[in-house]
Amino acid sequence: MPENFRLDKGGLVNRNKKISFTFNGKKYFGYEGDTLASALLANGVHLVGRSFKYHRPRGFFGAGVDEPYAIVQMNRNNEIDPNVRATEQELFEGLEAKSVNCWPNVDFDIGAINNFLNKFFPAGFYYKTFMWPKSFWYKIYEPIIRKAAGFGAASIKHDKERYEHKYEYCDLLIAGSGPSGLASAYAAAQNGARVILAEDKSRFGGSLLTSEVTIGNQSGQEWAEKIISELKSMPNVVVKNRSQVFGYYDHNMLVMSERVSDHLPKTDKYIPKQRLWYIRAKEVVISSGSIERPLVFGNNDAPGVMLSSAAKEYLKIYGVLVGKKPIIFTNNDSGYETGIEFKKNGIDPIILDTRKDASSEIIKEAKELNINIKFSYVVVAAKGYKKVNSADIARISDDKKNLSNIENIKCDCICVSGFWTPSIHLASQSGNKTKFNEEIDAFIPSQSKQKETTLGAANGVFTLEETLKTSFEKGSELSKQITNKENKVSVPTVVEKKPSSHDKFWCVPLPEGKNYKRFLDFQNDVAVSDIQLALREGYRSIEHVKRYTTLGMATDQGKTSNLNGLQLVSDVENKVVPQVGHTTFRPPYTPVSIGAIVGREVGKHSKPTRKSPMHYWHEKNNAVFVDAGVWLRPRYYKQGNENLFEASKREAKNVRQNVGVCDVTTLGKIDIKGPDAAEFLNRVYTNAWLKLPVGKARYGVMLREDGIVMDDGTTTRISENHYHMTTTTAQAANVLSHLEYYLQLVWPELNVNVVSSTEQWAGAAIAGPKSREVLQKLFPDLDVSNEGLPFMGYMEGNLFGVNAKIFRISFSGELAYEVNVESDNGNYMWEKILEIGKEFNIQPYGTEALSTLRIEMGHVAGSELDGRTIPYDNSLEGLVSKKKDFIGKRSLSKSAYVEIDRQKIVGVVPLDKKTSIPEGSYIVKDAKAKLPNPKLGHVSASCWSVEYDNPFSLAIIKDGKNMIGQKLFAMSPLKNKTIPVEIVSSHYVDPKGERVRS
Amino acid sequence: MLYIKCPHCGLRPQTEFSYGGDATVKRPELNKEISDQDWDNFVYLRKSPRGKHLELWQHISGCRQWIKVERDTLTHEIFTTYKASENI
Amino acid sequence: MQKYSVFSLIKNAFTGHKDWEVAWKDPAPKAEYDVIIIGGGGHGLATAYYLAKEHNITKVAIIEKGWIGGGNVGRNTTIIRSNYMHDENGLFSEFGMDLWRNMSLDLNFNVMFSPRGIINLAHSDAQMNAYSRRGNSMRLNGIDAVLLNREEVKKIIPMADFSENVRFPIFGGLMQPSAGTARHDAVAWGYARQADSMGVDIIQNCEVTGFDVVNGKILGIRTSKGEIKAKKIGLCVAGSTNVLAEKLNMTLPIETHLLQACVSEPIKPILDHVVTFGAGHFYCSQSDKGEMVMGGDLDGYNSYAQRGNLPTLQHVLTEGIAMFPFLSKLKMLRTWGGIMDMSMDGSPIIDKTHIEGLYLNCGWCYGGFKATPASGWTFAHTIAQDKPHKLNEGYSLNRFSTGHLIDEKGLGTKTWIS
Repeated sequence: MPENFRLDKGGLVNRNKKISFTFNGKKYFGYEGDTLASALLANGVHLVGRSFKYHRPRGFFGAGVDEPYAIVQMNRNNEIDPNVRATEQELFEGLEAKSVNCWPNVDFDIGAINNFLNKFFPAGFYYKTFMWPKSFWYKIYEPIIRKAAGFGAASIKHDKERYEHKYEYCDLLIAGSGPSGLASAYAAAQNGARVILAEDKSRFGGSLLTSEVTIGNQSGQEWAEKIISELKSMPNVVVKNRSQVFGYYDHNMLVMSERVSDHLPKTDKYIPKQRLWYIRAKEVVISSGSIERPLVFGNNDAPGVMLSSAAKEYLKIYGVLVGKKPIIFTNNDSGYETGIEFKKNGIDPIILDTRKDASSEIIKEAKELNINIKFSYVVVAAKGYKKVNSADIARISDDKKNLSNIENIKCDCICVSGFWTPSIHLASQSGNKTKFNEEIDAFIPSQSKQKETTLGAANGVFTLEETLKTSFEKGSELSKQITNKENKVSVPTVVEKKPSSHDKFWCVPLPEGKNYKRFLDFQNDVAVSDIQLALREGYRSIEHVKRYTTLGMATDQGKTSNLNGLQLVSDVENKVVPQVGHTTFRPPYTPVSIGAIVGREVGKHSKPTRKSPMHYWHEKNNAVFVDAGVWLRPRYYKQGNENLFEASKREAKNVRQNVGVCDVTTLGKIDIKGPDAAEFLNRVYTNAWLKLPVGKARYGVMLREDGIVMDDGTTTRISENHYHMTTTTAQAANVLSHLEYYLQLVWPELNVNVVSSTEQWAGAAIAGPKSREVLQKLFPDLDVSNEGLPFMGYMEGNLFGVNAKIFRISFSGELAYEVNVESDNGNYMWEKILEIGKEFNIQPYGTEALSTLRIEMGHVAGSELDGRTIPYDNSLEGLVSKKKDFIGKRSLSKSAYVEIDRQKIVGVVPLDKKTSIPEGSYIVKDAKAKLPNPKLGHVSASCWSVEYDNPFSLAIIKDGKNMIGQKLFAMSPLKNKTIPVEIVSSHYVDPKGERVRS
Repeated sequence: MLYIKCPHCGLRPQTEFSYGGDATVKRPELNKEISDQDWDNFVYLRKSPRGKHLELWQHISGCRQWIKVERDTLTHEIFTTYKASENI
Repeated sequence: MQKYSVFSLIKNAFTGHKDWEVAWKDPAPKAEYDVIIIGGGGHGLATAYYLAKEHNITKVAIIEKGWIGGGNVGRNTTIIRSNYMHDENGLFSEFGMDLWRNMSLDLNFNVMFSPRGIINLAHSDAQMNAYSRRGNSMRLNGIDAVLLNREEVKKIIPMADFSENVRFPIFGGLMQPSAGTARHDAVAWGYARQADSMGVDIIQNCEVTGFDVVNGKILGIRTSKGEIKAKKIGLCVAGSTNVLAEKLNMTLPIETHLLQACVSEPIKPILDHVVTFGAGHFYCSQSDKGEMVMGGDLDGYNSYAQRGNLPTLQHVLTEGIAMFPFLSKLKMLRTWGGIMDMSMDGSPIIDKTHIEGLYLNCGWCYGGFKATPASGWTFAHTIAQDKPHKLNEGYSLNRFSTGHLIDEKGLGTKTWIS
């Protein structure tokens, strides 16, 4: 289909490159340099979607980020993009898009029935109904409402696109490449400042691309091109198009999203789809321009009604006529620019100016061009459902209250201009308390909170001459402070048309007997009557109005609606706008893809995975891994068809009978050095540390100041002033910070240094009755006998050429050793242990067997030390020194902690000796008690005791001390289990701890 | 994102630091008699003003030093940073 | 008061909706009240409502610094649940669930309570066990809970990441089917409208500047609209508790922190449940408008600024994509921040104070919204009877001295770690 609305010439699109695309399944053509919006308009397509609530037909209202309607779903690069703004999407060959929020199609949308019933659906109607009967909201009404919600449909496929982050520092970040951005960037760059100039559109220049001005001896557009090419050639300047600075955060951190590949049919292999820039700027120049305000009249949401600036942009940049019979409806001079542009391209517009009379250069020019201008005239209502086909216009009285001479005139588009709203979003986000400027009826930035300067239209300055002058000055001044250089830039002369003042009038009254909807928020269907209703019902604060009516809460975030809403509220409430105040501006300025915010941390990269040096051995040997904090640890080593239960039982049994080896690299390790190290440990741990001899290890428990157990582990005195501390895998980082806290802040007088050595050492625990034999063969030269290396002993040795630390410590409750070598030698050590241990039937064991071994020994671990238990609860009170003070000691005397029936760890055995007790079960006295059933405590860990071949669990229960021997119930309602149990000692196996000392 | 001047390393982004709360909390001396209330106050009570707040941060991905930062909790403006050893 | 119903809506439609009355009035403060509630958020409004309804105390004023519903009831992720492990939290919240279920009819205001179910995903057997502990406790307390295995989770939320290329595979989850969401603003407005109709004065734009305390007894408050006397005063200003406590020379076991949340652009319905990620801190639901409502960690330092920074949201959304890869293609539309009273054990305080006639309701951490009705109900009881109700006995101020802490997460006093 040929384009009907493209001019024969003009515009900045590349007419040598024709591009085909489809919209709602129909094929169209456009040109390189088009947006989807301009290409559709060139083809005369105005109907793109439906509104949120009433499903009214929607077209194009703007030409950029302010667009409230034109949201489409796209298929690009075989991926679905659910909500794409057609005014921002650049055209590429093969682009596929379709309308959203309509069914079965945009032309015939069932949902539009809402429109005919709209009088029953005023603002907040849902708060007043759908209440009865009770469950109907959730079961009946809400599902219907939900079905109608949302725009595009997301694909549940993984996003295959790539997103990147970039961190950047600069002297000046300049957001927006219009005249103020270009001038300030240029001046700053001349002073040697590191400048980043960001432009959200594909073309630089902002308003210079569409305005009829002369700078020096060039047109605005030529001047912009010249400046940009100069900036691009400078090494201290980064110039970025398709880049939206969307957030102004603390300490001059700004975030920008760069749409690197969205304008291309495919994302190249080594290039991201989008890139998120975190930019720390010394100074920020906000040159984000302004957005035209709509005028409000009946049915002003019909396709074909659009901003006059957008119509001008489609003409001047894309060579596209948004209509051939346009009405320009304006309260200021801007509308004339659009009118003149139409006229120059052979189209006769009619200009309705709300002002009684006005004269300025541009009005004079329009008159000279014989454009039909009607002063004191307004559009009363647009006519036409899916597209404007005529308008009721009328003369308006001087007091703007009464309409007369209402007549209907044919038209195919209505271009509105209600003056300009500065884009103060970034300034406001930075903490700038904005102020209301009466002259322009809008808020502008006031006192800066951070290092930010707003220039040009964003600052309410609408003349080019002043904009350029202040922007050159500011750019120079701000950069000079940073670089201490000053290269004067001369401000070029500007020729522009001086405007006449605008009319404050913006909302056309309803003619007698008519009840047109006059929309403020086009996407969310918020009309003047909705705001009036909210105020009538007492929702008077602007935040209440916004929330009750949903004004400004659509995907355009009220860029075209907020200020008109404010004006309406202040009119009705008889207040001035600043008294009403605007709602808070929050990032993002425009919606940002979540993929870009997240960047590369997706899939396996969402959190780092840490692996021990023996990881690949484990992998090769059928280990099944489990996440332990950020680490992956072997849970069990699968043999044949074994399941977890069978494998872990085999592994644990082998430890009890022969010998096993476990990778304990992940344990936290902290090197502690200094003359006061012993004293420090004595303060950190609950037990005594001053007399630990060199070459000995000790088990210790440390508390938080609130008396709760923080961590446990062994610490070994390597030499006089050198200790090696181990922590649990999970708490390693916290313990290190904890130690540093006390050393640096609380007891700086202690001469101690701590450093993490977790990554330096690979560790293997060799456990079982035959472990000594294995150790002896590993270290033939050492005396590892019970006398030579007693329980809790330490020595250093040479393991076939590599240095090793040998600790006689045990978590399994068996005779056991832990050997540490430097990480690089970890796998070597591991393979040696297995090779040497072969004759003793050594087998590797995983965390599951490790758990079994520790549980039946009654050793506590993370499931007991859960941040809620004190030493007593874990039967660790024997390790709590009564003589010395230590971290958290004072809290242990709290009344709850010394209650006579305080909870304590116990063992739990099912009476039938068969039924495993699920972890997380509760111990109760009466399984049939009425709910809430009082709980004695919970089952913290369960295993199958390999020693006794029956299930065994640990539980922390009230008055545990006196519960031994009691017959109670373990209940897991989640698993429908009630298990009669007997309470036994938590030290189920080897209660005297003889094995570890054997 | 905050920009915190580590007194040892210079200006660094907040992501290099971890927070440590009210810096005015003083741990009672070891082995000293202290009332239940004073102890509980130490463990549980924090200054949490709207405005200037002296707080601890640790430069965890840097020099690992704990530092004191005077920051406004309403505006997030940072006024001064101190070494752990400096008394304010 | 006008009754809201489909009939009144139709009737008013034919008169152009011109006859709707104000939902609540805007009175000037009287010289004296029986009870003043400071804070016109959800909890304050609910407290006033239950004071009037359950205790027949109607000479009540709500003093609000800004506009009602402007605090955390207006800036949260609307999740309602009672899936707590500790009895105090579980029983309190479950009592609240009953109030939620009846709230729309009770208030004659559709708060859109939607029991769509919450699923806490587990990513290891250890976490499944931790959830069992929580779920079993719930069940023994009479609260609904179901433990789901991987396949069962997959049936309910197939859009979650069940692929191979996943860092934290889904092992299963704990579900509370009766949990859900509600329309947050409506809760504030519904309570306000009813309280107002029973005689409660809702006084907005009125800042409390000081308290009159004589001989350990509260006599009244000083405000930007003058002095107001009262026999009893309830403090209900979570987020600003420390600011007002300072005026009372009180220091509380509370730190003030910032929590951000965000929504995506609206998309067609894809997620019917509230889902939380287990290998981090992320929660997500889809609103009736189609927006994905998402939140997670605190910004992590004391703050009264209702604005946060992006790295926190980046972190939260990273976990979001780890759970729901489809989120990647959506756009973050709106972000906001709320100020939390983070208590030293993560549980709230509803109690009397050492000042006679002064009552405290604070420390809600990020769980305040769901607690709105139960908090108002029990606080009203505590004020009216001058002693806590059984349901809030555990939420005493002195638990920090006795050691009867209610620490759901076991994280202790580092409130900023979430």
